[in-house]
Amino acid sequence: MLEKGKIDSNQAVMLMVSLVLPTAILFVPAIIVKHARQDAWLAAIVALLGGLLIARLVVSLSLRFPEKTLFEYAQTILGKVPGKLVGLLYIWWFLYTGALIMDEFASFLCTAIMPETPPVVLFLVGIAVAAYAVRNGLEVLSRYNQLLLPILLGLLVITFLLVTKDMKAERLLPVFDQSAPAILKGAAVPLSWLGEIVLFAMIIPFLQKPREAHRVAALATLFTGLFFAICTVVTLSVFGPNLAAHWVFPVYNTVRVVSIANFLERLDIIIVAVWVFGGFAKMGVFYYAAVLGSAQWLGLKDYRPLVAPVGLLLIGLALLCDNIVDLLDFAARAWPPYALIVFEVGMPLFLMIVALVRGKGESNA
Amino acid sequence: MRWLIRTLSKRLFRGRKNQSRDARAANQTGDGNLFRAPRKNQVLSPDLETNLKAIKAIFDKCSDVIYREFVFAQNEQIRLALIYIDGLADKGQVSEQIMRALALEVPMVVPGQEITKARALEFIKQRGLCMHQVKETDKLQDVIHAILSGDTVLLVDGHTCAIINGARGWEARSITDPVAEPTVRGPRESFVETLRTNTALIRRRIKSPGLKIETLRLGEVTNTDVAIAYVEGIVNDKLVEEVKSRLERIKVDAVLETGYIEELIEDNPWSPFPTVNHTEKPDRVAAMLLEGRVAILVDGTPFVLTVPTLFVEYLQASEDYYERFLFASAVRLIRFVSMILSLTLPSLYIAAISFHHELFPTPLLLSIAAQREAVPFPVFIEVLIMELSFEILREAGVRLPRPIGQAVSIVGALVIGEASVRAGLIAAATVIVVALTGIASFTFFYSFSIAFRLLRFTLMVLSAALGLLGLISGLAVITIHLCSLRSFGVPYLSPMIPTTGVDLKDVVLRSPWWGMFTRPRLIARQDQKRQEQGLKPTPPKNPRP
Repeated sequence: MLEKGKIDSNQAVMLMVSLVLPTAILFVPAIIVKHARQDAWLAAIVALLGGLLIARLVVSLSLRFPEKTLFEYAQTILGKVPGKLVGLLYIWWFLYTGALIMDEFASFLCTAIMPETPPVVLFLVGIAVAAYAVRNGLEVLSRYNQLLLPILLGLLVITFLLVTKDMKAERLLPVFDQSAPAILKGAAVPLSWLGEIVLFAMIIPFLQKPREAHRVAALATLFTGLFFAICTVVTLSVFGPNLAAHWVFPVYNTVRVVSIANFLERLDIIIVAVWVFGGFAKMGVFYYAAVLGSAQWLGLKDYRPLVAPVGLLLIGLALLCDNIVDLLDFAARAWPPYALIVFEVGMPLFLMIVALVRGKGESNA
Repeated sequence: MRWLIRTLSKRLFRGRKNQSRDARAANQTGDGNLFRAPRKNQVLSPDLETNLKAIKAIFDKCSDVIYREFVFAQNEQIRLALIYIDGLADKGQVSEQIMRALALEVPMVVPGQEITKARALEFIKQRGLCMHQVKETDKLQDVIHAILSGDTVLLVDGHTCAIINGARGWEARSITDPVAEPTVRGPRESFVETLRTNTALIRRRIKSPGLKIETLRLGEVTNTDVAIAYVEGIVNDKLVEEVKSRLERIKVDAVLETGYIEELIEDNPWSPFPTVNHTEKPDRVAAMLLEGRVAILVDGTPFVLTVPTLFVEYLQASEDYYERFLFASAVRLIRFVSMILSLTLPSLYIAAISFHHELFPTPLLLSIAAQREAVPFPVFIEVLIMELSFEILREAGVRLPRPIGQAVSIVGALVIGEASVRAGLIAAATVIVVALTGIASFTFFYSFSIAFRLLRFTLMVLSAALGLLGLISGLAVITIHLCSLRSFGVPYLSPMIPTTGVDLKDVVLRSPWWGMFTRPRLIARQDQKRQEQGLKPTPPKNPRP
C-alpha cells in the first residue's frame, strides 16, 4: 500500500464535500442562472439527483474491489495494457482538473482582492501549501479539511442569514417558467461538478469502514447539491435572475451586500480568506489523487518523490489559461460535456459493464 | 526540505558525535576515565581496611566525603566505619541514631551470648540501629551509589556486607507558590527540586495503590533519579511501555532538567510546537494522571513532564476546573481568542495596511492614515521594529536582576511606547497592535507561546509579501503541520481533529463536573468511566427552613 493512513467516514464525507464545493459555489450559480434563470434552483436539484446516480455507480464499482483504487482495478477489469491506458487518461483528468481549480482560484483572487499580483505567484503559493499537505498524506489532508470545512460553511451560512433582509421571494417567481431542456442544460454544469465524486474511487480503499462508502458518497453529494441549491436561491432572491447571471461570482457579491449597523460590512474579505482555505483542500485532494494515481501507474513504492514534479506540471497546465473570460467560457461550455461524458459517467459505466460481463470482483457489493 | 535538514544536521553535529564516540572508546579502554569506577559486580572484602581503601581510592580528592571509624560498644574487637557525604546526610540522625547507638549506648544483652564478630552484623541490624530504612548490600557499586545519593553506609569488620542507612537530609527549598503558573483559586503548592518530596506531593493527592511510581537512573555522570508515575487501571499499558522504551534509549552524560529528557523523547523534534507538556503544579499532574497520562519526574527540578500532550492542554489552566464552569468556559474562550490574536494580529495589521485597505471601516481607515502620515517606515518595518523591541524588553525582564526591573519597565514603556509615537517614528495604532499581541501571548502557557512568537514573525514576513493570501497560506501550513503532529501516538489536535464527540466537553468550553462522565477517549484506553451519571444537583422541592 502506498498510503498507510486510514480516514473515518465523517472525514471522508467532509473531504468529498470539499472536493466539489469551494470552487463550485464561486462559479456555478452564475452559469446555472444563465441557462435556467429563476428556475436555477430546480436545475441544481436535478443535478443533485444525477450526482447521486453517479456516486452510486462509482461506489458500486469500487466496492467490487474494496482493496483497490481506480488505477488498480482498471487493470484487473480490462487487462494490463488497456487498464494502463485508462489510468493514464485519469491521471490526465486529475491533473487537468487540478490545474483548472488553481486557475479558478487564482482568477477569483486576482479579480477580488489582488488585481496586481501575477497568477503564477498565486499558483506557486497554492501548490506549495497543497504539496505540503499531500506529502503528509491522506490522513493529514482530511484532518486539515475536517478542521476548516465547518468554519467555511458556518461563515457562509452566517452571511446568508445576514443578507435575509435583502432577499425577496418574488424574485424566484414565476416557477417552471423555463422549458425542461433549458433546466436540464442548466443542470449539466453543476452535475459535472458533482460528478467529481469519481475521485472517491481513489479514497475508498483507505476508509476505515469501506462498507459505509455508499452512505459517505450519498451524504456528500446530497449535502453539496443542497448547498448549491441554497446558494442559487440566495443569489436569486437577492439579485434576481438578470443581475445574478451577470455577476461572475454571484455568491461573493451576495456577501458584499451585507451591511449591518454601518459597522458589520465588508465581510467579503473574511469569506475570501475562508474560501482560500477551502481551495487549498480542494486542490490538495486532486493533487493527491494525481500523485497517488501516477505512483500506482508507475508501480512506485512511495508516492512522495512525485509530489514536486506533479506540482510543477499543475503549475504549467494552469498557466495555459490566459484570462478569466477564457476560463469562464471553458468552465461553462467545454468542460462539462468533456468531464461528464468521458470521465464521470462514461468510463465508470464502461468499467462496470465490462466487470459485470467478465465477472470480475466481488458481486455482493 | 527534510533531506536538506538531515544533511545539514549531519554536517553540523558530526564533529560532536565523533567526539562522544571517542570518549566512549576511551572509557572502555580505561584511560582518560572521569573517575575510577568500581568494576561491575565487584564485591566487598571481609576486611574493613581493604574496603575503606577501595572506597577512598574511588572518592579520591572528594573533600566532602566523611569517613568515621569507631569500635562497637558491645565488643571492642569489632571495628566499624561510617561513610557519608557532608551536606547530603542528616548529621543529626547520623550522630544520634547511628553513632550514639552503636558507640555509646549498650543495648541489653542476654548474659552468655556476647556479641562475636560473626554475629555483629545481624545484631546491629536487628537491635543496634535506630533507623527506619536499612538495606544490606555486598556490592561495591551499590555502596558507592548509596553514598552519592546521600545515604550513610556502615561497614562492619569481618563482614562482606555493608548496611545502607537511609538518613538523607540536605538543604532544600521549601514548597512555595508556583512561579510560572500562578492561580487565584486552587492549591498553592508547587513542586520542589527533591524527587521524593515531589512524589509525595502527588501521592497525597491520589491516595490509591493504583498510583505507581517507577524509578530509573539516567545520565552516565550525573546518575539522576527519574521517576515515571501513572495510575494503573486508567493508563494505557502500551503508553507506559512506550515511555519506558523512549527513556531507556537515552544515553546522555547528564540530566539536569526535564528539558533534557523532553528533547530526547518528543515525537517531532523540528516542530515549533511542544509535544511534551510540563508543569510545576502537583494538582495539575494529579489531574493529568487521572486522565490516563504518564508523568515523568526528574530529581533536581520542579518541572514535571506529562505525556501524551494535546494542543488544548495549553489552553486549559488548572483553575478552569476549580472555578464554576460558566465562568471557566468564558475565560477559556478569551484565552482561545488571545491565542489566535497573538499569532495573527500583527500580520493581519500589516496585510490590511499594505494591501487591503477595504478591511477597515472608513473612519478607522482615515484615523490610521492620519497617524501614519509622518511615519517614515513601511508598515512591515514599523511592526517589525516594535515586535523586536518588545521581545528584547521581555527577554530583559526575565534575565535582569530584580531591583533593576522597575527601571527597565519604565524605560520600556516610555521609550518604546510614548516617545516613539511622539517622535512620529511609529504610529499609535502599531503600538496598540503590538502591545495587544504581547499581552495576549501571556494568557496561555509560556512554553506554548514561544511557538507562537516564532511563527508570528514568519507570518509577518509572509503577509508583508503577499498580503492576506500570504497570511492564509502560512496559517494553512501551520494547520496542516498541527494536523500531522502526534504526541506518543495521540493526534495533537484531538479531540477536535479527529473529532471525538464526547471529549469536546473540555476543549473551548468546559462542561460542568456533573457532565464529565468519561475520561479522554484517546488517552485513557481503559476504564473510560470517570464518574456516575446523574450527579447534577437538584435541590429538594419543598425546602425546609
